[in-house]
Amino acid sequence: MMLVSVILILLAVLGAPLFAIIATSAMLGYQRGEIDLMNMMLEILGIADLTFLSAIPLFTFAGYLLSESEAPKRLVRLTGAMLGWMPGGLAIVCIAACAFFTAFTGASGVTIIALGAILYPALKHDGYPDKFNLGLVTSSGSLGLLFAPSLPLILYGVVAEVSIDKLFLAGILPGLVMLVMLSGWSLWVNRANRRPVGSFSFKELGRALREAIWELPLPIVVLGGIYSGFLAVSEAAAITALYVLIVEVFIMREIKLTDLPQIIRSSMVLVGGILIILGVSMASTNYMIDAGVPEMLFGVVAGLVSSQVTFLVLLLIFLLILGAILDIFSAIVLVVPLMLPIAAGYEVDPVHLGIVFLAAMQLGYLTPPVGLNLFIASYRFEKPIMHVYSATFPFLLILMLSVILITFWPELSLWLVPEE
Amino acid sequence: MKKLLSRLDGLGRFAENAALIILLGGMIILAVGQIILREVFATGFIWVDPLIKLMVLWLAMVGSVAACRDDRHIRIDALSHILPDGLVKITRIVVDIFAALVCGVIAWHTYRYLQLEIEFDDRLLIDVPAWWVHVIVPVAFLLASYRFFVLVARQIITWAVGQEPEKTE
Repeated sequence: MMLVSVILILLAVLGAPLFAIIATSAMLGYQRGEIDLMNMMLEILGIADLTFLSAIPLFTFAGYLLSESEAPKRLVRLTGAMLGWMPGGLAIVCIAACAFFTAFTGASGVTIIALGAILYPALKHDGYPDKFNLGLVTSSGSLGLLFAPSLPLILYGVVAEVSIDKLFLAGILPGLVMLVMLSGWSLWVNRANRRPVGSFSFKELGRALREAIWELPLPIVVLGGIYSGFLAVSEAAAITALYVLIVEVFIMREIKLTDLPQIIRSSMVLVGGILIILGVSMASTNYMIDAGVPEMLFGVVAGLVSSQVTFLVLLLIFLLILGAILDIFSAIVLVVPLMLPIAAGYEVDPVHLGIVFLAAMQLGYLTPPVGLNLFIASYRFEKPIMHVYSATFPFLLILMLSVILITFWPELSLWLVPEE
Repeated sequence: MKKLLSRLDGLGRFAENAALIILLGGMIILAVGQIILREVFATGFIWVDPLIKLMVLWLAMVGSVAACRDDRHIRIDALSHILPDGLVKITRIVVDIFAALVCGVIAWHTYRYLQLEIEFDDRLLIDVPAWWVHVIVPVAFLLASYRFFVLVARQIITWAVGQEPEKTE
């Protein structure tokens, strides 16, 4: 038994597809419990039982379309017109634009490719040191994970059966804390070169607004629609997908009709990769829940810690390690169902747990050995991976501070969430 | 032979793309249509929501077959940056054979489930035989198994010949 687990872990770190590892462990569990392996089918079909799951393919598609169009350029220009007058303006523009873009495109590394390509040279042009630029662009690439309608937020809501509307509200303040702390750090580092991009001009703002006129209604439709109760998350996602498709392909004509199949394919390959892990994870976690694993874990943890604070410390350490090994989507589907009952035992609100989970996982994008942002930035900007890592390290520390703040200050997440 | 294989590859890719386009497009049209029906005409079809959910299942299955072809499945991949190249090549072959076998096993057992559904004549939506919809699961895993074996074969050929086989991107 022990040996089998070791072999599976070894296969996993050697690069076996994660879904195959999880499926194997589920099927081995079935065999031990003398459950017919046919039941794998029921669990996989469970994908079709989850409410709001259609939001994930729809938002992913919309995000891929946006990143293939000229929208990133317009976003940078608009953010520049709004925030560029501030001292150290371009760094702040970078942070704000990346956060906004990540929220709308999910957290799949497209931000670094789409926005980094514009911002990295611009930062250099404005005289910021190269190492700072590299670190800033790399760490901004996953910023905005906590803002609606980011994919990890939706996936957590679906898996944990927590209201997605509440999660969207809960992410706002913790997300802002991250932005403010990173901006503060950027200003401090560049105190010698705090030059604004330019002075504020209503003319430029007007031009930038006019240029982005077609994309401007998007946040309003998505967030307004959801918060007013007019649209469910999955409906907002469908409208977003249709709207972005019409705007970028037929009105702005920035995406050729012949490019659409490839864009659909790349986005759905990502979705397929996530959802198949979700399907087999349901098999493995449901088996573990039936076998009483959460209670057992709770017993172990309860023997170690008694207070909520110590539990949160333990949780945070666990999540930081988890984030360094697993990507955010796999971690959510695999770990959250087991973690929820334990957290409930310590009276941690499931909404707060979600925000802590995602905030901690965000650091995983920047930590070796599997930090996605590190590899994308290294590839995109042609820098050695160790160089990117050391450039990102100060930003990682700042983000770590913000995650600690978010973890131990639950009111930050729960303040905007209406009580039942 | 080579020509046949490359044509087969092109055909497979085309079929995946076509399925993905129809599924995604259908989902958008159905979902938006349902909102319009509800808000403007205060009506709607009860079968639309379950149908969209089943389309998500299909998207997941077809998408993951496509992910095999593009070699884009999520892997932990912690060691390939550290291990020497030669070793990485061997381990990649081992883990892909493992994935192919696992997919084969899942395909077989989900197929057994499907047979039961046919036997008991299960129905869903508006009286559609359940197996018409659920057949995608064993089919997708069978195709995935096949794709992983192709990946393995490609890697062995690359290794033996010492050069990349033609990419069919």
